[in-house]
Amino acid sequence: MSQTASAVHHSPKENYLNHQKTVWSWMSTVDHKRIGVMYLVTLAVMFFIGGMLALLVRLELLTPGVTIMGPDTYNQVFTMHGIVMVFLFLVPSIPAILGNFVLPMHLGAIDVAFPRLNLASYYVYLAGGALVLFGLFAGEIDTGWTFYTPYSSSASSAVLFLTSAVFVAGFSSIFTGINFIVTIHKMRAPGLTWNRLSLFTWSIYATSIVQVLATPVIGITMVLLFFEKMLHIGIFDPALGGDPVLFQHFFWFYSHPAVYIMILPAFGVVSELIAPFCRQPISGYKFVALSSVAIAFLGFLVWGHHMFVSGQSVVSSVIFSLITYFIGIPTGVKVLNWVTTMYKGSIWLKTPFLYALSFLFLFTIGGLTGIMLGVLAIDIHLHDTYFVVSHFHYVMMGGTVVAAIGGLHYWWPKITGKMYDEVSAKIACGLIFVGFNLTFFPQLILGSQGMPRRYHDYVEAFAGLHMASTIGSWVLALGLFVVLGCFVHSLRRGKPAPSNPWGAATLEWTNATSPPSPHNFVTSPIVTHGPYDFDAVEEIFSGDGASGDGSVQMDQPPSVAPSSSAS
Amino acid sequence: MADGHHGHHIVPLKILWGVFGGLIFLTIITVITAKQVDLGPLNLPLALVIAGTKATLVVTFFMALKWDNRVNLLIFSLGFIFVIVFLSFTLFDTSFRGDMSNAEENYISDQERIEQQLLERQERLEQGLPLDVEEEEPADAGHGDDHGDDGH
Amino acid sequence: MSTTIASTEHDTQGGHGASHDDHPAFLQHHFVNADQQFDAAKMGMWLFLITEILLFSGMFVAYTVYRAWHPEVFLEASTLLDWKLGGLNTLVLLASSLTVALSIHYIQKGNQAALFWNLLITILLACVFLVVKYFEYMAKFEHGIFAGEGFDPHGVSHGVDYAKYNIPYAKQFFSIYFIMTGIHGFHVIVGIILMTWLLVKARLGHFSAAWYTPVELTGLYWHIVDIIWIFLFPLMYLI
Repeated sequence: MSQTASAVHHSPKENYLNHQKTVWSWMSTVDHKRIGVMYLVTLAVMFFIGGMLALLVRLELLTPGVTIMGPDTYNQVFTMHGIVMVFLFLVPSIPAILGNFVLPMHLGAIDVAFPRLNLASYYVYLAGGALVLFGLFAGEIDTGWTFYTPYSSSASSAVLFLTSAVFVAGFSSIFTGINFIVTIHKMRAPGLTWNRLSLFTWSIYATSIVQVLATPVIGITMVLLFFEKMLHIGIFDPALGGDPVLFQHFFWFYSHPAVYIMILPAFGVVSELIAPFCRQPISGYKFVALSSVAIAFLGFLVWGHHMFVSGQSVVSSVIFSLITYFIGIPTGVKVLNWVTTMYKGSIWLKTPFLYALSFLFLFTIGGLTGIMLGVLAIDIHLHDTYFVVSHFHYVMMGGTVVAAIGGLHYWWPKITGKMYDEVSAKIACGLIFVGFNLTFFPQLILGSQGMPRRYHDYVEAFAGLHMASTIGSWVLALGLFVVLGCFVHSLRRGKPAPSNPWGAATLEWTNATSPPSPHNFVTSPIVTHGPYDFDAVEEIFSGDGASGDGSVQMDQPPSVAPSSSAS
Repeated sequence: MADGHHGHHIVPLKILWGVFGGLIFLTIITVITAKQVDLGPLNLPLALVIAGTKATLVVTFFMALKWDNRVNLLIFSLGFIFVIVFLSFTLFDTSFRGDMSNAEENYISDQERIEQQLLERQERLEQGLPLDVEEEEPADAGHGDDHGDDGH
Repeated sequence: MSTTIASTEHDTQGGHGASHDDHPAFLQHHFVNADQQFDAAKMGMWLFLITEILLFSGMFVAYTVYRAWHPEVFLEASTLLDWKLGGLNTLVLLASSLTVALSIHYIQKGNQAALFWNLLITILLACVFLVVKYFEYMAKFEHGIFAGEGFDPHGVSHGVDYAKYNIPYAKQFFSIYFIMTGIHGFHVIVGIILMTWLLVKARLGHFSAAWYTPVELTGLYWHIVDIIWIFLFPLMYLI
């Protein structure tokens, strides 16, 4: 009680959420925190749309034959699901929401380097999103999210909207990437050396490099596809003398690195989740940091492993397959170091940490199945089966989405200034974990037995596993709705959050109030310790509740926390 | 000595005009070599080398990368390297496309079929029977049907 | 040599003493000082430029692949392009690159008049480039040489029989040609718009030796447009 009271007492009345109240002040804001919140709301809507489409897909597959929709509708629904989820949700997801909110604060900066560009990138994203949704609901698009020619060159002209949309949304991604790279280089607080950057910052840095280098290529691919449809230039369309495999090269030169755009930020979030809840610095900090950069670069050299059965040359298949194995090394380094961090740590089982554990479990399955798919011979067997579907859902949903939700729980007190209800949050986490595995593990088995992806129908023998998968999708959806309910409840009834409920050592917790003031910090921080030096934090910020922002006030202090923080 | 002021180096007029002269000169050279001198397959690399030199001149002096912050040089090199990656890895495919096609005849089933036929011929020869060419026709037809089934 | 930095600082303090205190008017609140702001902007621009390079790289890859597959067709088709006009445009763009570099040189020395005139010449040269390009395009369209489906070469002019260029994959060459030069031309137009905006601001005296960031960034952009043409010219017109 006294802690709560003092937290209220010490948090200044004016913060970034309430210092200006009009709708226009939000729409025209250049504050990175507000832009992060705007992204949060927008992306939640996109995730909802994409998720509903996923539920429809699963419902159709509940039983063999036509359950709720015919093949044509089914093709359109899974295409919509893929496009919305990939281009409008996963690619922006963590960098746009958590990156925008947290990154400048991790650097001790007032804002990103180009705040107006940041706002512009939000509106460019909205324009791209509007184009996608318009194209999806106006025309019958059944190309799959990959737009392969000749599907796309012979599909309805609504594909033109989608190619433009991907082009436009790409600019949003590029702007964000440029902004973050420059911010990390130029906006660090005094004392914040590269060795003191948080691992979240490192992973956003690696992500941004990929965004800047890869996104222009999807831009030009979409331009060429646009002209292919408009003018029939014959670059990609085999009917006109073009080469459809060349399209796949162009597409995957972006889209494979884009997979790392989606997963690298999740690595960063997980590092932030694991350290404070184990009260230990991340073991092998430099390896974890540099492995992000290594993955970013290696990720550019493996795109051809999506094309083993496309008819590309065997020479390139072999090269791409070999380099694909290498990706496993930096990824393994990360997983190993996360697990090592937990070893002999004081583990504090709060919700964000539960999500981190889920991530470790699910992502490891996703990663290992990925290595399997990188093996040439095995890929011939598993290509375009549910094994692939399951693999990338383990990575994208089990990896990125789980990390994003975990990160959202972790930073929720900072973003909103309210605590969420721990019990219901843990129940939601459990439901998501169980539901996810129930949905996607059967798909691994289905795939290995030969169930092809992108079919609305299947043979009787697959009925049991498909039904399990569909039921799993309901559990998963329930879990996600509990998360939503938990957050809404927190906004309305949540306890006020102390400045540093987790006793974390990064600047947004130690040097800013919850929620932060409009300019983040009262005085520009001078960094004297690393991002995971928890003992240093506890020494400097004694946690008596009187030292203003940054005081360590935990709900239940972990055993290694100094006793002063409890008194 | 002027580390804090990387961006504010003023490129001397002499260098700017000199580089411009060099660029004009190289443009003339590239036209002459391409139009007048027939080097066979070497014309293309030569033109690219000249273009690369011109681009380097522009980047180094006009864009003042020579005096700029090193990180900008790094960024530019990175962009250049990834263009090379994109190009070369795509060419790994397109230059060797179809390198499986010479193996097409050698599916395991095909090999077995050919071996079978050879064995039959051997037997017929040993038994002194005439080699009946028509006998092989059904085998081929069956082979074609197999492929048809695969197609479904 | 040693005058470069010193003169910048001197000009700054001499010409704009009033505005140049701890927090000059152009300095945005989230930067510590003008150098940080300038470096950040420039770094951002370099990053943007490599996205431009990678954007064009897609078309260069398409060009390379089709050229590697059909070298004789590409050789044949490229003879239809007028290398004299292409060469003229190369010289025009190189000259504009020089003038834009000169405009930065002069504003770094605080010479606003020279900035104005050099920008003006750059814009005029860019317009010349587009006019030449327009006539090139028109000469092609006249004989049915379009990107894509409309490709149907016909007619005779200057002793060239266009109909004999109706060969397989010549269409791909001209499609790539039109799209690459078209997107390049679009960048030229964007450059003209940017520099016109700079011209107005230069006229109003917004730039000084202390603050000329937009001129510097636009200059970098313009040089990249030039560099892309440097590669386009030999690949399309010459060989």
